[in-house]
Amino acid sequence: MPTPTDLLQGTLDLLILQTVALEPMHGWGIALRIQQVSRDVLQIGQGSLYPALHRLEYKGWIKSEWANSENNRRAKFYKLTATGRKQLAAERDSWNRLSDAIGLVLDKTMEVSS
Amino acid sequence: MIVEFWTWLRYFLLRKSRKELDDEVRFHLEQSIASKIDAGIPEAEARRLAMIEFGSLEATQEGCEQQRPGWWAGIAAQDFRYALRGCLRNPAFSIAAVLTLMLGIGSSAAVFTVVDRILFRPLPYGDSGRLVSVGLLAPIEPLEFMLGGSYYEWQDNQKPFVALTSEAGGEPCDLTEVNPVRLDCASVEYNFLQTLGVMPVVGRNFLPNEDRPNAPKVALISYALWRSRFHRDSSITGKVISIDGKATEVVGVLPENFEMPRLQAADVLVPECLDVAAQRRADPGRPLWAFARLKPGVTPEQAKAQLEPLFEYSLRLAPAPFRKEIHYTVRPLRDRQFHDVHRAAWILLGLVMAVLLIATANVAGLLTARRASRQREMAVRTALGASRFRLLQSAILESFILSATGALAGVLLASALLRVFVAMSPGGMPFLNSARIDGRVLIFALSICLLSTLSFGLIGGITRAQTNALTSRSASGLRRARLRQFLVTAQIAASLLLVAGGALLARSFWNLERQNLGINDENVLTATISLGQTAYPTAERQMAFFQQLQRNLRWGPGVDTVALSDSLPPGGYHHDQIYASLRVEGQPRFTSGTGGNVAWRWVTPEYFRTLNIPLIEGSGFTDDELASANRFVVLSRSLAERMFPGQSALGRQVHVATGAPEGQDPLYSVVGVVADVKNGGLAAGEEPEYYRLRRNRAEDWDPRAVVIVKSSLPAPTMERWMRRQVASLDPALPVEVGTLRERIAKLADQPRFEMLLVSYFAVTGLVMAMIGLYGVTAFLVEQRKPEVGVRMAFGASKGDIVRLVLASTMRMIVPGTVFGLALAFAVSQVLSSLLFQVGSHDSVTFCGSTILLIAVTVIASLIPAIDATRVDPIITLRVE
Repeated sequence: MPTPTDLLQGTLDLLILQTVALEPMHGWGIALRIQQVSRDVLQIGQGSLYPALHRLEYKGWIKSEWANSENNRRAKFYKLTATGRKQLAAERDSWNRLSDAIGLVLDKTMEVSS
Repeated sequence: MIVEFWTWLRYFLLRKSRKELDDEVRFHLEQSIASKIDAGIPEAEARRLAMIEFGSLEATQEGCEQQRPGWWAGIAAQDFRYALRGCLRNPAFSIAAVLTLMLGIGSSAAVFTVVDRILFRPLPYGDSGRLVSVGLLAPIEPLEFMLGGSYYEWQDNQKPFVALTSEAGGEPCDLTEVNPVRLDCASVEYNFLQTLGVMPVVGRNFLPNEDRPNAPKVALISYALWRSRFHRDSSITGKVISIDGKATEVVGVLPENFEMPRLQAADVLVPECLDVAAQRRADPGRPLWAFARLKPGVTPEQAKAQLEPLFEYSLRLAPAPFRKEIHYTVRPLRDRQFHDVHRAAWILLGLVMAVLLIATANVAGLLTARRASRQREMAVRTALGASRFRLLQSAILESFILSATGALAGVLLASALLRVFVAMSPGGMPFLNSARIDGRVLIFALSICLLSTLSFGLIGGITRAQTNALTSRSASGLRRARLRQFLVTAQIAASLLLVAGGALLARSFWNLERQNLGINDENVLTATISLGQTAYPTAERQMAFFQQLQRNLRWGPGVDTVALSDSLPPGGYHHDQIYASLRVEGQPRFTSGTGGNVAWRWVTPEYFRTLNIPLIEGSGFTDDELASANRFVVLSRSLAERMFPGQSALGRQVHVATGAPEGQDPLYSVVGVVADVKNGGLAAGEEPEYYRLRRNRAEDWDPRAVVIVKSSLPAPTMERWMRRQVASLDPALPVEVGTLRERIAKLADQPRFEMLLVSYFAVTGLVMAMIGLYGVTAFLVEQRKPEVGVRMAFGASKGDIVRLVLASTMRMIVPGTVFGLALAFAVSQVLSSLLFQVGSHDSVTFCGSTILLIAVTVIASLIPAIDATRVDPIITLRVE
């Protein structure tokens, strides 16, 4: 069972995996999608986005290929691999467990304070 | 799992192209700009904002690159290439460091392996630490022995031992079966193996009733014989073999690593089968060699004290005049085996430890010099952003390359040296052949390698590279240089000691090789023959064989003379008897002690002419005497002068004690006096000697003889011809043929070994001193380069600069030499027992060694001195 810190560090990985799970996307698209979906709360810096994409690719969880973008420019699209899908499921599980646990702790303390 | 591993491996080996990432980033920026333009921002401003938002392009690239699985390996490879280049850029330094490590590791590993076999080798006996050798010491035999007359008294009454056992020596025997072979048979007491703690691997030990006179013959055979002759047949026990024609039952097989305590060869062990009652009455009785197992907690010294009354008993048996020359000893078995090698081994170990320490000091010295010369480079690298960790890493890598090369070269040197040591080691150390560079030596080399890597790297890397090295010269390190100067001085002194010692031994060896032996070995060949008991059971048969061989050889091609003897000068075995056992007819017996040893040999008339020993008086042996019933002797000059001072020995009669009852000693007539011949080994003194004539009578012959042939034909031709002649008489007879010169050269094996060993260390010490001096001088020169620049700017010539550097090294060379000379004078006394016709304070040797050392050290300091003259004053002044 991963420790909470591991999970927090791996959060960006989880977000990326989740985002490319829907459809193959390029780097810009991934950053934009995460920002939009999180209603501008989560802004991914490029300094960490690309190293993360490369890391996931080196681990074999995502795969890249060059294709034409929506405005007909050549862009590098990332898509989830089979192992990546398994990894995503695992990471979602742990994330849910963690947020449930944190929620429980927070609810308890709210009851106490109220 | 497998999929992930393959992905990892693929990316480990292949890197993604940099352009791909550039394209990706460019696309990202374009999208970013486009989105900003869509939001109504002007293009130029949109581009600027997008760039700001993206941040550092290099950082992203670096970040992506660092994700690659092979990133670390890549960095390490880069550092490795850089370190390698660092080593190659300063070849003198690298060679010096590698050489130092190679010599240090190689010498110590090789010497350790040899000394380990000598000093620390486990003896192949159970609990061998408690085994001792026990016996009497007398002038006639340098090592302890026992005599049957008192041995059993000792065995019955001793207190300090669990058991006392004996062996009665060995002799050649024949396995007389389908393919007869000559073997070595050793006879031992029935409790011999039990006392040594050895169990036969197959079968059983001897039983007490098998060790009696006329008991049925039994034998234990060696593992090697079991394997080669009986193909490890496990049903060997109970098998009857024929030894010297007698049916003998094999009762067991000895362990593979078994060896006799005196290290003599033994293929077959048989019981002594002595008549104990007869031995007790006998005087002196059969010579035996006794070994014992100490009771727990008893030391050899205590055991010796407890044996005092038994020694008194033995002493009473000895003739009164000899008593004061007889002693006794109890010492560990290991000490007996290496009674003269022991001290040499420890000296060797000491030498090698010194070499290793010098090597360590050298490496440290070289390193500091190196660091001093690279301070500026380190400062530049720091200024360009190299992290301290990265600098340390590259320093360690660089030192690792040097250490690993040095260690590898050292192990190679060690195995080469070991081969040389083993090939050159004098006989009597057969177990040295199994000395190998083993795991311990590799671990030793590896740990030295790691240790020096760390100390090299850490000394070089951990001290913070001072950025001010870029702007000013630093005076730090000068104080530490004092210690190193002292070390180098000590090193020079130590190498002078080694060089002087090596030169003394070399001179001594030179004298040894060129001394006058009293014989002429030119064109002389020898054939050593020992006849088997089965084919030649009687002295008549033995005489017939040797005389027939002599006749056949006499008329061979180019043969000048042929003689037969039973032994040969200048060293090795010959008969010995004490001077007191000779009595001049009509004079009283010599009574004050034994009178020392007198050597004697059986010879035929041509012996003196074949070896070119000049006759001084008389005509020597002639053919007339061969047929005579009387006995004749020829004396050596020193013996004649002692027995007949101031008189002619010719025609005088001498009684020679041959074990016959008192008063019935046979009488010998002196028919000649010959010049003295070296007979106690190459380096030892000469004994008086006499020669008995081997007449045409069986009583003068035994199974052993050396045929001596002087011929004008080349040695290889003669050797083949002599072998053929022996084979034509008896094709199954083993014969050892060689030139007399080879025989004599073999005697010089031990001094040659000693000389080469010490010379090797002398050369090693000299090289180390050169390296040490070079390292320190190079360091000092590096430190003083700015000063040299200033001096040159003010008009100093290159000669002035060289003189300046040499003056500073002279401050190490001169005291080192003086100190070394004093040390060598004090210590060379240790060598005096090894020296032959050279004083241990030989002035020529000492002067020569000093001149050599000074020359070598000056050359070592000239390299950095000349380097100093290449200083460009402009550059140093600008740095100042």
